[in-house]
Amino acid sequence: MDTEALLSLSLDIGEEMLLSGAEIHRVEDCIRRICHAYEAKRIDVFSITSVMIATIESPEGKSYTQTRRIAQSGTDLTKLHRLNCLSRTLCSSTPSLDFARREFQSILSSCRPLAAPIFYLSYFLIAGSFTLFFGGTLLESAFSALIAMVLCLAVRLTGRVNFNPILSKIMLTFLFSLLAILCARVLPGVAEDKIIIGNIMIVIPGIGLTNSLRDLFSGDLISGLLRLCESCILALAIAAGYSLAVLLTGGIA
Amino acid sequence: MREAFFQIYLAFLGSLGFSILFHITSTRLFFASFGGAISWGVYLALNPLFSSEALRYFLATAVIALYAEIMAKIQKTPTTTYLVPSIIPLIPGSALYSTMNYALRGEWEAFSAEGLFTLQIALSLAGGILVVSSATSVYKSLLHHFMKKAVQKKKGKKTGRYSL
Repeated sequence: MDTEALLSLSLDIGEEMLLSGAEIHRVEDCIRRICHAYEAKRIDVFSITSVMIATIESPEGKSYTQTRRIAQSGTDLTKLHRLNCLSRTLCSSTPSLDFARREFQSILSSCRPLAAPIFYLSYFLIAGSFTLFFGGTLLESAFSALIAMVLCLAVRLTGRVNFNPILSKIMLTFLFSLLAILCARVLPGVAEDKIIIGNIMIVIPGIGLTNSLRDLFSGDLISGLLRLCESCILALAIAAGYSLAVLLTGGIA
Repeated sequence: MREAFFQIYLAFLGSLGFSILFHITSTRLFFASFGGAISWGVYLALNPLFSSEALRYFLATAVIALYAEIMAKIQKTPTTTYLVPSIIPLIPGSALYSTMNYALRGEWEAFSAEGLFTLQIALSLAGGILVVSSATSVYKSLLHHFMKKAVQKKKGKKTGRYSL
């Protein structure tokens, strides 16, 4: 058994799971179980949102340590599902590591970022339906969905340049708030508030908050606090972007 | 009544948008979005029973967390897949917006009231998730404990293998 390859593979799987939106508890547990299934003598895993460390001891008594620095996280729940399935297979039938590595690579290459039209569609749906949901009119909902398309374009452009996430949140919120306020100024019978709420639902750090709470309650205090902090700062960034747009257009009527 | 169904339908569409954004595919896409409809449906159904907003949000979250755990178990997938899109309609986006607005207007009393209300909802959501996820983990560890004992009774069986 090649312990180093095992460690490398299990950490890679863990890293990709964390990147696609898993909770810390699941990631640590998954690495531990894979190494356990392949008969490592001792396994020590520690992970927070930005870094992951594991040391395992081979049956011959030699120790190996590897670290992964986790850069940024998106959310891809299908990739997470498939990685989860792979790790279950590894635990239950322990196939050869070469086979496992090939499977892992095929999951990575088949899970691509969303195609542009689907990305636009999801923004369209979210903003349009939540504007109606929070009591907007049909016309407001249509404008909200249109503004969301512009927002989507901006998200794709800023995603390419690798912006600071907080700064880009401020700018994005500023953009859609400004557009919504301008819409409301130009068109009679359209109010900006429901349009803005519909678009806020897109940028609000819902998944971050949910995952941070789950981390906190399952005992991963450091990661939970990190994610909670991140969500709060992003919420503040939304408030800042909105305030900027309102102040620039001359305050609230 | 019609109004309520329309809202539930919209909650479904909103959750569907998020499910697409989070790359959920196949049958999981429907059930994850359906969770959004359930969460808002439960919230509305509890409307005449409880006057406290926080309690309603708490119960709706608990129901949806249970739904997520059960669906995840059936489909052998992480709970996150169902929990995250389903909880979206309960997220206090509207309350957050009003809070920001009061701050901009300088109406600090209304700001603190609305801010505390937003915080209260967020804590209710947290509580709902907490109750269900701790109950599930207790259930899982009990199950694991008794399975281990049962296996140990039959001699010669190894208990090293876990199932995820």
